[in-house]
Amino acid sequence: MHIVRFVVLVLFQVLVLNHIRLGGYVHPYVYLIFVMLLPINMPKWGLLLSGFGIGIVIDLFLGTPGLHAGATTLMAFCRPGIIKLVSGTQKFESIQYPNLNQLSGRWFLRYTLCMVVVHHFFLFFLESFSFKLIGQILLRFIISTPISIFLIMMILYLFKPERSKEKNL
Amino acid sequence: MYNLIRFIQKHHFVILFILLEVICIVLLSRSQNYHKQVVFNTTNDAVGKVYEWGNDIGDYFHLKRTNQQLAEENAMLRQQLSVVTDTTTSTYDIQGRDTIYEYIPARIVNNSITNVNNYMIIDKGRVDGIEEDMCVISTDGIVGVVADVSTHYATIISLLHTSSAIGVRFLNNQELGTLKWGTNNYRYGMVEDIPTHIVLQPGDTVVTGPYSLIFPEDLMVGTVEELLQSPTGDLNHARIKFATNFATLRQVYVVRNLYKNELDELKSNFKEE
Repeated sequence: MHIVRFVVLVLFQVLVLNHIRLGGYVHPYVYLIFVMLLPINMPKWGLLLSGFGIGIVIDLFLGTPGLHAGATTLMAFCRPGIIKLVSGTQKFESIQYPNLNQLSGRWFLRYTLCMVVVHHFFLFFLESFSFKLIGQILLRFIISTPISIFLIMMILYLFKPERSKEKNL
Repeated sequence: MYNLIRFIQKHHFVILFILLEVICIVLLSRSQNYHKQVVFNTTNDAVGKVYEWGNDIGDYFHLKRTNQQLAEENAMLRQQLSVVTDTTTSTYDIQGRDTIYEYIPARIVNNSITNVNNYMIIDKGRVDGIEEDMCVISTDGIVGVVADVSTHYATIISLLHTSSAIGVRFLNNQELGTLKWGTNNYRYGMVEDIPTHIVLQPGDTVVTGPYSLIFPEDLMVGTVEELLQSPTGDLNHARIKFATNFATLRQVYVVRNLYKNELDELKSNFKEE
């Protein structure tokens, strides 16, 4: 399941989304969904390696060694903290991985917001760190973040698992 | 020793995180070097293959325009050919020694124009005779330089790259300058280091300069858009419009200089002395 998601998201990202050219500032990244939907009780080292893995594959395609890998690794590192932060007292014993049936849309929006901001900020920070075009890169951050969040939420709702299936699992 | 293992066990999350981040930053900083930029095997055959699948679908939508471009080019070549056959004797040998450039047609399978540093991947590689440092042109003008070659694919550093620098010449007054990208717009580039006494008019043609081992001379580069006076009164800059439209580019030619080895040899001899 996660492997299929990995492949589909990478292909969608590099073959479709990277061709979006609205003024050159819009760089939505939706492959983060892979890291977001990993099992909640996954061992932490697995989480980090998964984040690093998808980042490095995206880097391979974009020719930016280490850029996306760095951002996704940080995101994976922050994920346990973010989940704690956005859910407060809510408990997760019965939930295997984040999904829209067992968690509210508002929870997901907060979760997506935090994850995307962490990822995009670090990504664009790494880029400016190396290319010294901070103004332009900040603009990219400000424009791309809401679009990424919108796209991710849309995809999550589109591919929401069926309730009946969920019971069988 | 035992304590060390205990420490690693306890903090493996943080340690692994730091380790991975260090790997990323090392990779990233190593990639800043101009030619090693593509170390990371952007030209990896697997990556090229995936882009090619994606393109096989996309290509159908561009068939009409590609056809038209090729037809226009054909017409132009025919015209040139008629000039050649008119002015020379009938013994003109088209395979003659005068040809020092060979053109290898290639298709772009991946192209970026919005990044800070842009690359393309083409579907020709080592087996097709592509080598590093060959120049790449389109029917309209120059495109870039081959940076990395794998068996069936090659990566091109496009003109839209912070470290691209190409010697150019203004056609109407023969003055030389250096072309850099300099803008963040894929339509425009900057010619730097223009002496102040030179007057340029918008629309003046810019072609490749005479001293490059990579680019043949007199290839179309673009037209002058505006001359930017330097505030300090030294060398001026000029904004030029690229003849190549990088956004719609599909078909390119890789130019192989048949005497490149000879030139390289001369150059290396010179260095040794």
